[in-house]
Amino acid sequence: MAQKAGKKTEREGIAALDNNGLFLSVFRHIQTGIVIIDPEHHTIIDVNPIAEALIGGKREELIGHGCQGFICPAQHGACPVTDLKIHLENTERTIINKKGEKVSILKTVAILPFKGKNYLVESFVDITDRKNAEDRRIALLGYMNESVLRVRHPLEMTSSNLRQIADQVRSGEFDHEDAGMELRIRANNLEQIAKNLTDLAGAVAKERHDIPEDYRRFLSRT
Amino acid sequence: MTDNPNPGGADDPLLCLMLSLPERIQQMNISALRSMLQKDCVPLVVTVNQPYRVLMKKYAKEGLDPKKIYVIDAVTQYSGGTCDLGENVRYVTNPANLTDLGIAITEMLKHMPDQRRCIIFDSVSMLLIHIPSVTASKFLHFVMNKLRLSNVDGIFLCVEKGLDPMVLSQLSSFVDRIVEFDSPEQGAGLTAITS
Repeated sequence: MAQKAGKKTEREGIAALDNNGLFLSVFRHIQTGIVIIDPEHHTIIDVNPIAEALIGGKREELIGHGCQGFICPAQHGACPVTDLKIHLENTERTIINKKGEKVSILKTVAILPFKGKNYLVESFVDITDRKNAEDRRIALLGYMNESVLRVRHPLEMTSSNLRQIADQVRSGEFDHEDAGMELRIRANNLEQIAKNLTDLAGAVAKERHDIPEDYRRFLSRT
Repeated sequence: MTDNPNPGGADDPLLCLMLSLPERIQQMNISALRSMLQKDCVPLVVTVNQPYRVLMKKYAKEGLDPKKIYVIDAVTQYSGGTCDLGENVRYVTNPANLTDLGIAITEMLKHMPDQRRCIIFDSVSMLLIHIPSVTASKFLHFVMNKLRLSNVDGIFLCVEKGLDPMVLSQLSSFVDRIVEFDSPEQGAGLTAITS
């Protein structure tokens, strides 16, 4: 009996699974967002509950809606799969949720031939937490770099300046006023360097996101 | 690098970033200044490192005529020192006061003799004590643009390896050359590493 059912599944493929309710059950319970798209009209055929939750809209509202510019940032004529022929497999992309926010996802798109027609099966997982952690790592690297720039190198220069001042005082090249002024400048610089350290540490602690985008991009490349 | 096909040509201002070890910054300042004076270029030293009074003594000791040198000093007031007044010097309250520093540069350039002029900025590394690198980069971009428009040469002194690759790449895109300072004995003390 089971052997007979197996042969039927093989012959009728997904339709048979659907008839058994297995496909629908997997579709509804898998912990991955799935959106099925009609590639001809770029409309949403179906979404599973994880996709619903991620997009933040009801299945009934989403079905039949165009995908471009709605849940996908790509505009008409620039579909990465059908127009640009990009193979998406575990690729970092974004999906637009109901609030219009871009959510980072890891996405795979497969072409599903079904009953004489092709469909796009887009499956994805939310990687917002991972992206946030990465942003935080980049921000920390940025602050560390800034610390070197605004603390370590100035300290090296100040150290060199102080040695030169000592030599100039010893050689009589500097009078008291010159020496006093130079030493006050270096003392003020040291105060400022200490303040820079405090500010940088404070900025990291407060998780400020004021590192420029270019700088983030540069750091993410290294 | 910029797209300028003839950087430093007869009609084009030359902007360069000069790099040295921390202990060579003063020598680099003097070498750059000497080189400019030898070319009959009127130099304007913008200092956020050493005060005017000390700089003038050093220049005089090196045989450079202080009367031919214009200075914008952003550290004397900051240290509470005495501001020696003169036709060739302007003071800015502190190195972080970029608005006043920008105005002082503009005014001083107008005040300088109408011949080839050059700014020597001492130094980018010391400026970074007082302002974040992003702000410094924007300010230096503003100054360099101004120099190009005013047909003024610019030499920006910096400690070698004192800039992270991001700031260095930004500044590199504003200047025509990055020059590594070796020693004052080597002619003008400059070895072009890029052109």
